[in-house]
Amino acid sequence: MSRLQGPSSHKRKQPEPNSASGSLTEHERILYHVIKSKQNMGIWTRDMKWETKLPDYVVVKSLKSLQAKKLIKEVVNVQNKGRKHYIAAEFEPSKEITGGTWYAGGNLDTEFINFLQKHCVKIIYEQKVATLEGILDTIRRSRAFNVEFTPQQIEEIVNALVLDNEITEVESNGMGEFDSIPVGTVCYMCTNKGGRKGEPKIGAMASIPCGVCPQISLCTPDGIISPQTCVHFTKWLDF
Amino acid sequence: MVTQYGIKLAVHLMTNHFGNVVAKVCENLLQRGPLTLQLIVQLTELTPQQVTSSLLILIQHNCVQAFSLEQQGGLEDGPKADTQYMVLFSNILHRMRFSKFLKIVSGEFDEECKELLHGLLQHGRLTLKQMVERAKNMIEREKSSKREGICEDIVQENLLKLLAARYAERCPTHEAVLAAPVTEETTAKKRGAKSAKRNEESVTIEQRVLGAAAPMEAQRFSIITNTGSNVSREISTNASSSMSVGEKRKYDSLELDREPAAEEEEVVLFRANFEEFMRRLRHKACIENVRTRLDDGSSIVLRAMLEAARSLEKKVKTEKPVPLSLNTIFEEVMKSEEGRGMTLDRVRASLAQFGCSPSARGTDESYSIDLKKIVELAQNDEVSLTLVSKDMKIHVSVTKRCLTFSTLQLESIVLKRYGRDAYRMFRLLSKTGRLVETDKISDTTFVEKKDAPKILYKLWKDEYLHMEKLVVAGARQSQFLLWKVNKPSLQEHVLDEMFRAALNLSQRVAYEREKEKEFAKRTVLCPNN
Repeated sequence: MSRLQGPSSHKRKQPEPNSASGSLTEHERILYHVIKSKQNMGIWTRDMKWETKLPDYVVVKSLKSLQAKKLIKEVVNVQNKGRKHYIAAEFEPSKEITGGTWYAGGNLDTEFINFLQKHCVKIIYEQKVATLEGILDTIRRSRAFNVEFTPQQIEEIVNALVLDNEITEVESNGMGEFDSIPVGTVCYMCTNKGGRKGEPKIGAMASIPCGVCPQISLCTPDGIISPQTCVHFTKWLDF
Repeated sequence: MVTQYGIKLAVHLMTNHFGNVVAKVCENLLQRGPLTLQLIVQLTELTPQQVTSSLLILIQHNCVQAFSLEQQGGLEDGPKADTQYMVLFSNILHRMRFSKFLKIVSGEFDEECKELLHGLLQHGRLTLKQMVERAKNMIEREKSSKREGICEDIVQENLLKLLAARYAERCPTHEAVLAAPVTEETTAKKRGAKSAKRNEESVTIEQRVLGAAAPMEAQRFSIITNTGSNVSREISTNASSSMSVGEKRKYDSLELDREPAAEEEEVVLFRANFEEFMRRLRHKACIENVRTRLDDGSSIVLRAMLEAARSLEKKVKTEKPVPLSLNTIFEEVMKSEEGRGMTLDRVRASLAQFGCSPSARGTDESYSIDLKKIVELAQNDEVSLTLVSKDMKIHVSVTKRCLTFSTLQLESIVLKRYGRDAYRMFRLLSKTGRLVETDKISDTTFVEKKDAPKILYKLWKDEYLHMEKLVVAGARQSQFLLWKVNKPSLQEHVLDEMFRAALNLSQRVAYEREKEKEFAKRTVLCPNN
């Protein structure tokens, strides 16, 4: 997967000399200066107008010109995708703007994340018990991905799997299946023996209609929604 | 105090089982806590006779316990002026579980034992004589060929079986007498002022009353009376003589605490021991949980340890950990068909899977179950094992592997009601146990930043999450939302929802039954339609 860029690509590049700024108008220079001062955080057009006190049509025209001269670029702000957000060309947008490693074009790259998660679950299932280092090492050796993952990135993926109850986090006690893992090391095991997607065990409450009904607070014996007339109950009892 | 829908459910059960009058008395006790007879009459606007009869029924069926505070000046005959009546909410709910209790007994004993338990559940409490009479009536009704002569022996033998298994027990005293509140100076000598205050607060009035009413441990599961005879001799008082087994028991008066006179014989009443049934059910659920989480072998080992501990528990006090040698555990494992295929190493490996790691392994490996933790297991739905290896105690909580069932219930409700994204976020906040900012939650759980606030807000609105706003002053004021799972209040909220769900289910079942009856009636009247 070539979409994922490693952490080095987020480092700020050295700003280039002011060779292009010599041909800027006064308004363009003011605007460019404001945008550049925000570094990798960039700035929203409305904030630009507020800071520079320039009229709307001047800002719009100047931004077009700066973009054409490749001095600035528009980026998607994951928090507010509808807003026009600009950043100086020499900078890469910060995590707060892009959403971080796992975002692409302002959206969470769920396809990529799911693919990587499935791969990690497969590794853990095959190894029965796996450490973070073990998983990372196996991914590297498998060459299934074009990019290099950091331990932190794999940890994020694995933590989400724990929260999804697909895998369990345990500590090695050095015995049995943990005998090759130092005592106290955090490791991971599949929740389900088959390594299939973990559907967590359903509690008694969640197995009856009332347990999962979003209208439970409105349900009364004499009300429009009542146990006697409940369609979910009718369906549930219809066996 | 009991939750809103807990009260409604209990009142619904009491209405179905004993009628509106009894239910009204019960409702007032649930809403207001322990009350005297006078206050109940005042609040319910029922006649004193109605209230008295209702209380007698509730006491008979172990749903109410009478108590009074110790007064100076010695004991008096008859009911004390300050006798209060306390409702036992758990025992009311247990009435929904009677069929499960019968199933447990029918799995371990024969049909006659099960029938004996059925009698205890049906009547609340019975003497041995009444149990025998009931059995005789049944033989007559069924025109059974069993000889009546051996009936008494069989009934006694079955009762002994139930007592030995702790499925039956002696009834508590009719009216418990609570000691006057202990002053701080008195307890401070033993435990220190601060811890004494904490201990007192943590022991509820219900626990104190039940503790004071309970028979001595040595007598609780014994059929032997104080007179020393092997068979209890029932007293022929006004209260018991007019009763016929098969009807609900009615007392002439509430003078249940009268000391028997010298010429009267002792009345020993027995009842089902709900505590033991609940413990068995929880053990069963815990073993099943281990089977799902780990494997069959581990569940067999856990069951064996609990069985072995249970038999030891009868001989020693529950507070002290009792060491179980690996051989003892292995022997217990061998008793079951599934366990016979397991080796000693396999058993050892299963114990290791629980997270147990003794510091030294020798020829004399021993493990002990902290029996107090096992008792707490019935309350907290956790499994804890304490390992003792050569005098060194290592306390291990199996909850590393086993989720607490209350957590399981909460999480599965969130999953089913709000979806997988909400499930991940809820689990994160549940594990973290502190306030977490929205963006941090969405980053960790891989939920879209634009979706996370909506889902969190929905959970907050339905009282599954606690929310706080943090305003940061700077060049521009920024507002952050922080979220947290407040477990105690959430558990109470979900518990109330569970009571509501149980009530809804009960009402729906009653409605369906009514529909069936009407349909049957119509079919009889108009068979061609």
